Amino acid sequence: MNGIYLLKRLITSFAAFCIAVTIMFALLRLMPGDYITMYLEAIYRYAPPDVVEAFNRVYGLDRPILEQYVIYLLDAFRGNWGYSFIYKVPVIAVIGEKLVWTLIILFPATILATLAGIGIGAYSGWRRGSKADVGLLNGMIFIRAIPSYWLALMILIIFAYYLNLFPLGGYVDTSALATGIDPLDVANHAVLPILTLFLFSVTGTYYLMRNTMLMTAGEDYITTARAKGLDELTILRKHALKNAMLPMVTLITFECAGMITGSIFVETIFSWPGLGMLTYKALAARDLPLLQGILLIDTLFVIAANIAADLIYPLVDPRVQVGDDA
Amino acid sequence: MHKKIVLAASLGIVFAYCAVALLAPVIAPYDPHAITGAPLSPPDRDHLLGTNDLAQDIFSGLIWGTRATLLLGFVGAAIAVTVGTAAGIVSGYYGGLIDEAVMRLLDVAMTIPIFPLLLILTTFFRPGIYLIAVLMGLLGSFQGVRLIRSQVLSLAVADFVVGTRALGAGDGYIMARHILPGVLPLAGVKFVTSAQHFMLIGIGLGFLGITDPSVVDWGQMINRASQNGAMILGLWWWLIPPGLAVTLISLALAWLGYACEDEINPRLRVMRV
Repeated sequence: MNGIYLLKRLITSFAAFCIAVTIMFALLRLMPGDYITMYLEAIYRYAPPDVVEAFNRVYGLDRPILEQYVIYLLDAFRGNWGYSFIYKVPVIAVIGEKLVWTLIILFPATILATLAGIGIGAYSGWRRGSKADVGLLNGMIFIRAIPSYWLALMILIIFAYYLNLFPLGGYVDTSALATGIDPLDVANHAVLPILTLFLFSVTGTYYLMRNTMLMTAGEDYITTARAKGLDELTILRKHALKNAMLPMVTLITFECAGMITGSIFVETIFSWPGLGMLTYKALAARDLPLLQGILLIDTLFVIAANIAADLIYPLVDPRVQVGDDA
Repeated sequence: MHKKIVLAASLGIVFAYCAVALLAPVIAPYDPHAITGAPLSPPDRDHLLGTNDLAQDIFSGLIWGTRATLLLGFVGAAIAVTVGTAAGIVSGYYGGLIDEAVMRLLDVAMTIPIFPLLLILTTFFRPGIYLIAVLMGLLGSFQGVRLIRSQVLSLAVADFVVGTRALGAGDGYIMARHILPGVLPLAGVKFVTSAQHFMLIGIGLGFLGITDPSVVDWGQMINRASQNGAMILGLWWWLIPPGLAVTLISLALAWLGYACEDEINPRLRVMRV
């Protein structure tokens, strides 16, 4: 069962990547005007017709469309994602450099949000109807309703501008020019972006965990456990929590895509030099190859997160057989 | 009791926004694109929320922006829910190969992050506000398919459906008259939560500079204010109102959606316990 499931997941991931590439191929063909002319003008500022023709030949743009598609697809798998209009270097190089910075804020935020969401959600669902539960629930609904860009701006204004606790933006202090990059300084700059992404993401985990908990709390095995005389904490930990874990796998898919969206706004507002701010710059400059590369890397990111979740959950809970339809 | 107040308040806010959107030309004192005095002037009697760097009246922009927000949210949600419900019913009712095909297609589609794809499509086609709403709706319909389908799966084998079929009713009739009413409450909740989601996304697009230049939208206003030093200069009346306006409608829809969900799914009912 597990083997078949994994195979299914791999095929799905492969298909998703191919479709993302196909959409781009189609968009490039639909674009008004000649791509090579636009390309050369963007990079070298001029495009003589004979050079355009030569480029068309070298890149195989004079061949049948089906052959072009196959070449494009193979190149996408090889990491040849074209040249960025604004940076004038291969897209994959730009993305590789920025990806690290995004991961620096995305990883801690996701892990903290998942842990906190599970913990608070379980508590809230277990103590259903209590004052603490209603308070937490309403608080979470409130946080979830605030747009992420607005939340980021407010956090920036309060913590950086008025309270002056953290820097206003960027990733290092200007003194780094003389002394080199200090990891502590980077961490100090990363606190507010991480906090915003955390708040943005924790509500989803909380909400799901609480709902699952409400469903679980009425099950017979919980009543049995209580009848056995187990204390509440043991029931929660050993019986309720474990059974509530499976839906989390599904949630991680949504959250990852959501976090990418969130990071676009958060990075833009905090001037954090990651993929999100790159997206903003690429949008402003209408740098299509770069935008496409970002979509590809985002797709790969979601695929990786899905596979990771599939692999991690059986470790956390041996009873969980990912892929069983139960 | 507490729940009823929240429900009434959120409904009231949604209706108030609709009224403002409809009456925008009457309420707004100026054309939101017009130059109406000195740039960056603080709030006074002529300009309730002052003017921006282009000397446009911020209050008028705020009022007119209601239209774009509601339009993006409700048109997007209507499309997403219609497509999602239709696909979910067909997939769940017929089952078998059709269901398998739809589910595998969804698996693939949901792996591609929607927002970056939306960014590329909107940058590429530079669509007007209606097309942006349609694009959002289509890309955002995937989640709903699964939700509706899981409900339909149990409805499709229910006695009253089997009985109706035994009486000779066709598939189309059963789906429209017996399955659809069963999933309508769920689709209703999905409509409310989707509308909230699409409003946030739509204004987010505006914030990133992807807008229909002929409409005023709050995302654009927030972006303009934050990029032009409203924060550093302490011009709160420029930066705060559009954000508060989004947050308020988003909050009202979130609470509305939550109250509805609570109503149709008694196992989640807690506030009364």
